Amino acid sequence: MLVELGHFCLALALSVSILQFVLPIIGIKLKSTRALATSTYSSYLFFCLVSFSFISLMWAYISSDFSVALVAQNSHSLKPLIYKVTGVWGNHEGSLMLWILVLSLYSLALSIIGKNIPLKIKSIVLSVQGLIASAFTGFILFTSNPFLRLLPPKLEGEGFNPILQDIGLAIHPPFLYLGYVGLSITFSFSIAALILKQADSIWIKWVRPWAMLSWTFLTIGIALGSWWAYRELGWGGWWFWDPVENASFMPWLAATALLHSSIVAEKRNTLKAWTILLALIAFSFSLLGTFIVRSGVLVSVHAFASDPSRGIYILLMLILFTGGSLALFAKNAPKLKSGNMFSPISREGAIVINNIIFSAAAATVLLGTLYPIFIDALTTNKVSVGPPYFESVFIPLMVPAILLCGFSPMLTWKRAVFDNMYERIIFIFIVSILITSFLIYIRNGSAMTFLGIFLSIWLFLGTIYDFFERILRGKSFNEVAKRIVSYPRSAYGMSFAHIGVSIFILGATMSTAYKTEIETSVQIGDKIIVENKELIFESIKQNQGPNWLADVATFRISHNESDISFLYPERRFYPASQINTSEPAILSRLFYDLYIVLGEKDIKNKNFAVRVYYSPLLNFIWIGIAFMAFGGILSLSDKKHRVSYKTLRKNRNLSIK
Amino acid sequence: MKKYYYYIPLITFILLILFFSRQLFLNKDPSHLPSVMLDESFPKLEFNQLAKYNLLTIEDIFSYDKPSLVNVWASWCVPCKIEHANLMLLKNKHSIRIYGINYKDNLKKADEILNLDGNPFYSIGVDSSGRIAINLGVYGVPETFILDRNGKIRYRHVGPILEYDIRETILPILTKLEQDD
Amino acid sequence: MIKLFKYAVILFLCSAPSSLYSQNNTNLESNSLVLQQAKELYEELRCLVCQNQSLLESEAPLALDLKELIKEKLKEGKTKKEVKDFLVERYGEFILLLPTLSLQNLFLWIGPFIFLFIGIIFAYKFYTNFNRSSNKTKTLNPAEKKNVQKILDEKLE
Repeated sequence: MLVELGHFCLALALSVSILQFVLPIIGIKLKSTRALATSTYSSYLFFCLVSFSFISLMWAYISSDFSVALVAQNSHSLKPLIYKVTGVWGNHEGSLMLWILVLSLYSLALSIIGKNIPLKIKSIVLSVQGLIASAFTGFILFTSNPFLRLLPPKLEGEGFNPILQDIGLAIHPPFLYLGYVGLSITFSFSIAALILKQADSIWIKWVRPWAMLSWTFLTIGIALGSWWAYRELGWGGWWFWDPVENASFMPWLAATALLHSSIVAEKRNTLKAWTILLALIAFSFSLLGTFIVRSGVLVSVHAFASDPSRGIYILLMLILFTGGSLALFAKNAPKLKSGNMFSPISREGAIVINNIIFSAAAATVLLGTLYPIFIDALTTNKVSVGPPYFESVFIPLMVPAILLCGFSPMLTWKRAVFDNMYERIIFIFIVSILITSFLIYIRNGSAMTFLGIFLSIWLFLGTIYDFFERILRGKSFNEVAKRIVSYPRSAYGMSFAHIGVSIFILGATMSTAYKTEIETSVQIGDKIIVENKELIFESIKQNQGPNWLADVATFRISHNESDISFLYPERRFYPASQINTSEPAILSRLFYDLYIVLGEKDIKNKNFAVRVYYSPLLNFIWIGIAFMAFGGILSLSDKKHRVSYKTLRKNRNLSIK
Repeated sequence: MKKYYYYIPLITFILLILFFSRQLFLNKDPSHLPSVMLDESFPKLEFNQLAKYNLLTIEDIFSYDKPSLVNVWASWCVPCKIEHANLMLLKNKHSIRIYGINYKDNLKKADEILNLDGNPFYSIGVDSSGRIAINLGVYGVPETFILDRNGKIRYRHVGPILEYDIRETILPILTKLEQDD
Repeated sequence: MIKLFKYAVILFLCSAPSSLYSQNNTNLESNSLVLQQAKELYEELRCLVCQNQSLLESEAPLALDLKELIKEKLKEGKTKKEVKDFLVERYGEFILLLPTLSLQNLFLWIGPFIFLFIGIIFAYKFYTNFNRSSNKTKTLNPAEKKNVQKILDEKLE
């Protein structure tokens, strides 16, 4: 009964979202403030209906109601409760439900936080949100209905891909969607600016927090997905340049460019058309990702079961939103007035270069991801574009960006005088070179490895130097303390994010370049030695999980006499789906990860295949990303954002032309 | 001043959409792959014998002056069982010569299956390591190649041969190859 | 304050913990060249039956056979390129995860440069257009300049 109610609410939600789209348009045509104001209530109502609908679906999962087709296909009564809940979005239909739930949440948040935004702008934004909401709700109802009943009901669910039973994977879609869908707000704001042909600096101030919020969520979401791949896939790798990974990476690159360009747009009231274009493209990349994952035009390990009719629907949505918005952009963007100019050598100038590089990088990832399709369409051949391509193209693109990032925060706004800069840049350069050459002296490695290390140090020093230079301008300790406290949160945010990038580069470089890999087969009592660490295969025992049987090995790892730890890699067998998987065990220390994978058992001589990876500084990857995300949060908490949403009360009832 | 470059994003997007639509409406399976061995001579390979059956030799293939099939199969492969009856049909009803390549198999079981279900093959070669299949560019079992009278590979069929495939592709190609020259 | 900070940094550097990097990577040397080359090849070749995985990451039967074959060929003294060519002859360029530099893949390889180039052209246009239009704006008179300088100096204090 609850399921039918949820279904009904979803249908109601569709009509509400259509109202949310249409009424503000009527309001503008008829100059009716009342009609405009309805958009707020529509967004409240849409949120309530979608939440209820979502909860009813979740309930069907929790109560293992196998009369619902989706639950029967994707769940299992023996699954732990947490995976029943997260299983809701582990499939195409459910993940779309999560998508619109997040969308409704954002519209609601905008309605509440944006009370002081002039009604006209706010209603146009909400109207666009309504259009997006109705398109997706319609998509769910007409092609991917999660509420369909099964007759006769199944007694037991058809299990769940065991490899998906992981907490990192289970919670990464909500973060990823909070990122993807958050970009819809910046998208809708951009549409409003294009329709009204005005984008002043207060407009940028409204948009920026949403871009920052989405970027932060995207960063966390991508990292969680990558963390899952690292712990589950069993190869010690954490990024595979798979189409689905790229689909989340492209919006991230665009959002990163957007974050930076919006600084210029806000400060100088210029680059506005470009900032708007980035906002349009960032959300379009989110939609494109949806298309790639669900239409089946590209093969991917992560792709959902595909269906051409869904592909066509998403393609139509892409045409409507991206095509429509880009056409509007072509028509109205030239009419946006630009403000003040800046010199190419200035903080703004550096941001322009950052934008060129990040856009080129996003375009390159897009090109590499779609190139197999182009070749397939234009020739009879087939090509693969894999990690070696992306690495050989992406890394050189990023090198100048990192070099720039090391000193650009020290550049002054508007027009920088390089004379003052030389001393600092040379100091940082010399110190970075010194450290790097010291490392070259004590350790072998490739040129690329040392380039990575150099860039990491360079960026770290540059960021720290900039910070201390600002803080230490104070002459007494009191003054310095005062500066530390009053230093804007957004500036702290920037420093944290940049330091995060530096830590990330170090982690990625070191863990790749100095990774040691041992592939062997062991019997009980055998010893493996990796990087001065002794691994002893002590025992093996059978174990039973809620829906699997497992061989669990015990490895005793001794670093030295006093430092001993144990690792328990598993080889699992899932009877429901007849799949064998390896559950790697990881000893994660600050300076290295030790990663053991238990492979196939050789029945004849009771040997186990084992792979051991030793990756130095691997944790720096996650720490670096955490710093970036934390930088985003710090920046969001800056009081200037609250101010820009509060000070507009007097303009609230901006008249309708 | 002309603002033509504001149209660049839109135009790029339209091009992309054209590619996507083509891919969607042709409904191509992106995992389907063409063979690069097409129009190449059947490689000179040596096989081992399976039980009492005729040994597949390269001379067999090149001395026969009609089009023929080469079928890669294994007793452990489920789709091969589906295809078996159709291979028998091709041999008995259409008198097509089929060479078999037994892929990474338990030879005893392979023999048993042929005893039980009949032997559609003119001669059989054993590929116990899978190395020969790699030389042929084979992805998995079952896979079937059509050779012309000169021993050139002219067509590659991935997956089991169903009745539909015999009717729509295999037989038309064979008759066409026979009419050629 | 800044000077102090600089000296501190250099001091810290001199005492930097070298223990972290002191271990030598002996394992790499003990592995034979063949295995090293084979691993490099695995990373550059696609597991054909599993989608979007390299041979290195695949346990599919065909992938295992291919890995075995690659190792054998390398042991026979074939170069990496010869092994790659052998596989491309049989499975096509599809097996290469790093596309070759051919006419067909031309755009794939020059694309990134084109994107950068376009970006630079737009930036250039952006700056020159602005200069043209901003030349018309009037400049400050000496009195105003003095005033501004005074305000700036106060701020910098």
